[in-house]
This record gives sequence, structure tokens and C-alpha cells, in this order.
Amino acid sequence: MGLLTNLFPSSSDADKRATEIRSGAVAPTREERKKCWEARDTYFACLDANGIVDALKDDSKAARACGGESAGFEKDCAAQWVTYFKKWRVQDVQKKARLKELEAQGANKMDVQTDFTARS
Amino acid sequence: MPPPAASARAVLNALPRAVSRQCPRFMSTVRSAQAKRPTAPNPAGFRAQPFQPLVQRRFKYKTVEEAKSRYRSGPFSLKAGILFVIAGAGLVWYFENEKGRMQRKRIVESNKGVGRPKVGGSFELIDQNGNKMTDEDLKGRYSLVYFGFTHCPDICPEELDKMARMFDLVEEQRPGAVAPVFVTCDPARDGPKEMKEYLIEFHPKFIGLTGTYDQIKAMCKAYRVYFSTPSEVQPGQDYLVDHSIYFYLMSPEGDFVEALGRQHSPDQAAKIILDHMKDWKGPS
Repeated sequence: MGLLTNLFPSSSDADKRATEIRSGAVAPTREERKKCWEARDTYFACLDANGIVDALKDDSKAARACGGESAGFEKDCAAQWVTYFKKWRVQDVQKKARLKELEAQGANKMDVQTDFTARS
Repeated sequence: MPPPAASARAVLNALPRAVSRQCPRFMSTVRSAQAKRPTAPNPAGFRAQPFQPLVQRRFKYKTVEEAKSRYRSGPFSLKAGILFVIAGAGLVWYFENEKGRMQRKRIVESNKGVGRPKVGGSFELIDQNGNKMTDEDLKGRYSLVYFGFTHCPDICPEELDKMARMFDLVEEQRPGAVAPVFVTCDPARDGPKEMKEYLIEFHPKFIGLTGTYDQIKAMCKAYRVYFSTPSEVQPGQDYLVDHSIYFYLMSPEGDFVEALGRQHSPDQAAKIILDHMKDWKGPS
């Protein structure tokens, strides 16, 4: 039985796996992560095109503009990841804007040190 | 025996250095009128003898021009110049090398702590095969320790790929000198089986460590790793774990050496690790 289902994974098995990933019951594999990241990038590209930064705050606007992409994103990623990536996007946009602003002011890019000792 | 030969032999015995110059003369004794006089020593023979002065000559110049040019350039010559440059370059290289070594040594020393290590320490966890593993098992070689969890959305997988790359780079140069270790911050969901399935996709040599919540908490505390599992998680509910994202390079004695972060590329990180290993004599 187990062998049979492994040899011929039925659509219900794939669905089951997808549901488990969405709910966070299992950790996604490399392949599944890649699929999720691609869905995320498609969704974010749509948000970019529509000038939406925070998909959590402007959820009705995002749903109207990128409904299809959003469905794909939510299908391929764990629900927790969807929220995480949406929050990350807001921070990332802010970070990039801030860096641009600093660069315009003539700030220097710094090489950050990682050990905790003072260097001469 | 004809007298010329005898006199010639006397000369030959007295002047062993002039042999080669004397020889052609013997061959043509007939033509040499001088040679017929038995007692007359060959003045040419004496002149041919290289003059060995008792004291060394002060001036080695054959011509005035040579002496003049030597006087003009003073004690500097091309040879002296080349020697000077080579010696200088050698010294600069040596001091730069030594400076780097001392700097690394200082990092190691300052991170060592007094008495007991500031970062790292004893632990007892289980690996992805279900075997017990302690800090003693990691001693004798460097270890690169990273904390994360299998449900990690983006940073851990990226960092683990990076870790695999830097591990390979180090392995190329110093096989078996570093142990790549991944410790989960989410022991509730990451058992040995989950760890094994997760890590095999990154590198077959990665060591995955998990344990009970308390064991992991103690481990994270020892490594000064911040992690927070959200409170009030219902069974079966998904969550993300917030955690520090440094690679900890630990010495063969289990002391903290240096932290490598997001800003290091795999090549930079591998170079840092290999540089630290340069001062190390190798697995004993």
C-alpha cells in the first residue's frame, strides 16, 4: 500500500502534503521552498506594479489588484510564511528607501566587524 | 740529459703554477737561443708567475676612469640597490605576516575568557541519527556552529547553503579540520528524523543536534544565542522561531574563536576560518 502510493502519488497525497505544508505540520523540502519563493516573488512583483507596500494593511486593495497571485502564494507557502514574508517586505522596502536616502546624503558604506574586540 | 731540460725542470718544480705557460716552450727548445744557456733562469718565467701580495691592495681599479666612476657613485651600486630592495621587501612581508598573526591571536585570546569560556561550553544533545553527542565529541578539530530551525522561511536555508559552500572550501584545503554543526532552536518540532531529512538537502556531512527543550535552552544560553518560541502555541499550530543568525567558529579546545555573519561571503568566511587554522598545528 505504502509502496503503491509512493510509486503513484495520487493527487490526494499531493494535496495532503500541500495542506500539511500550509498548516506547518511538516517542514518544506528544498523543492517546496523554491516553489514557495517563486510564488512569493510573483506576488511581490504584482504588488510592486500596483504600488502596494504593506499587503497586510492594504489587504482589500492587494486582494483586488493581485488576487490570483495571492492565491498562488498562499497555496504554495505555509500560512506563517505568508505573513512573515509580507511583514518582511514592508521592512525591506523601508530599509532600501533609508539606504537610498543615506546614500543621497553622501554616507559611506560601512564594513561591519563581527568580533567583539576593539581594533586599532 | 740536456741542461735546458734540467733548468726547465728546476723552474717547473719551483713554479708549479706556471706549468701550462712553460710547456709550449719545451716543445720548441731548438728555436729558443736563450734556453741553450744552462744557468740563466728564464726571466719570462718569473714574470709570468702571478704576483701574490702579502697585503691586499687598497685599490682594485685597473684604470683611472674606473676609479673615478666608482668614486662618483659612492658606495651605491646596482647590486647593493637590488639587495636593499629584496631585504626591504622581505622585512615588510614578514612584519605584515606577523601583524596578521598577532591580530588573530589577540581575537582568539580576547574571546577565550578567563577561567571558563564566555561563549560555548559543555552540552549533551542527540544528533540526526539518534546518537548522543557532547561537547567532548567536537573537540580535537574546529567546529562551525549554526542555530536555526527546519521551518525557517528564508534566512536559515540561505545560510545553510552558504555554510555548505564554506565547509567545502575549507575541506578542500584542510580535510577533516572543521565540523559543521546545526543546532535546532525548535526542539518541539525538530526531532532527529526531521533534522536528518532537512540537513541531507544541504550537505551529507552536516551534524544536526537536537534535544529536549531544556537541553536546547541550555545550549543556546551557553552560546549566547537568543531564541524565542512564541508563547501559547497550541499543539499542531504553526509558528516561527526568532533566533540569532551567526556562525560560531569554535576552536579544537571548544573555545569561541570568532563569529561570522550575514555580511561574509562563503569565500570570505572560508578564508577567515583557514587563517585561524594557520596558527593551529592540526588535529593531534
